[in-house]
Amino acid sequence: MKDSCLSISELLEKYFDQEVTEGEKHLVENHLQNCPSCRDTLTSLEGLKSLIKAPVEKAAQEEDFPWVWQKIKREIQPQEKQGRWPSLRFWLVPSPLLKKKVWVPAVATAVLLMALTTQVIFKKTPSYSDASVVKYVESQTHHIMVYESENAKMTMIWLFDEGDQESSKS
Amino acid sequence: MKRAFPFLLFVLFLSLFSASLSSAQVQVRLRVFEASNVGSRIDSSLRDMRDQFKPLVDFSSYRLLKDETPTLYPNRPVISPAHPGRVIELTLIRQDKNVAEVRVKIKREQRDILDTQVRLSPGRTVSIGGPKHGEGVIIVTLSGQF
Repeated sequence: MKDSCLSISELLEKYFDQEVTEGEKHLVENHLQNCPSCRDTLTSLEGLKSLIKAPVEKAAQEEDFPWVWQKIKREIQPQEKQGRWPSLRFWLVPSPLLKKKVWVPAVATAVLLMALTTQVIFKKTPSYSDASVVKYVESQTHHIMVYESENAKMTMIWLFDEGDQESSKS
Repeated sequence: MKRAFPFLLFVLFLSLFSASLSSAQVQVRLRVFEASNVGSRIDSSLRDMRDQFKPLVDFSSYRLLKDETPTLYPNRPVISPAHPGRVIELTLIRQDKNVAEVRVKIKREQRDILDTQVRLSPGRTVSIGGPKHGEGVIIVTLSGQF
């Protein structure tokens, strides 16, 4: 292959596809007049084109395009009906961010942290200034006295017999 | 792995939750003793009691009848026989970090001598006294082991 053929072969496909400039076109045509090898290459490109084009055109002729279009139209129509309430859909359809799976562990972690922190925050710290040590006390057989000492940290529940009370009165 | 992560978190959450539930238990020290003014014997393990009682009721003798530390679980009564012919029933009602609410029942012949609910906290002793026994009285003390 000659050097000139080498440079023309790069332009030959563009020439075949009619994508060359006017200058390139003259250059290729002048070369083709004197080069049977490049002419053969061009002929083989034309042959290849017809080889591909013929079955595609045949298939296109055989295909029932109106039927295909009807099918496409049928698929499109329900989507158009859904579009009646675009604003409502905007609020109802979850955000694409929410669809991402990354939110699942994030929400789970947040719930876990909330559960743990609320226990700490809302846990009532017992205070003996507002909560008596003895919540309730009752007896079927005795009288009761309750003594609570804040300083000595002692609570005493004392049971009296009837006789004890009488003797204490006298 | 990405799918397993939320599941693992859920399992962790459940285990923490169940652990927090199962941790509700408290050990209490239950002492039963007889206090009287007959003699001057004071059992060594009751000297602290004598100091606490002195400002209120000054007994000269303290004799230990029972000293035990049962572990209480929520709503599971622990029954302890106490001299003479009495039964002490302790039930953990609720427990926060440093406070345990305990229901105390003292029964004799199926009758409630006492039915009370008290809050036990670190360092605080709840004493129940008065039922006569011989020349003295029976005293029951409860304190939480936190």
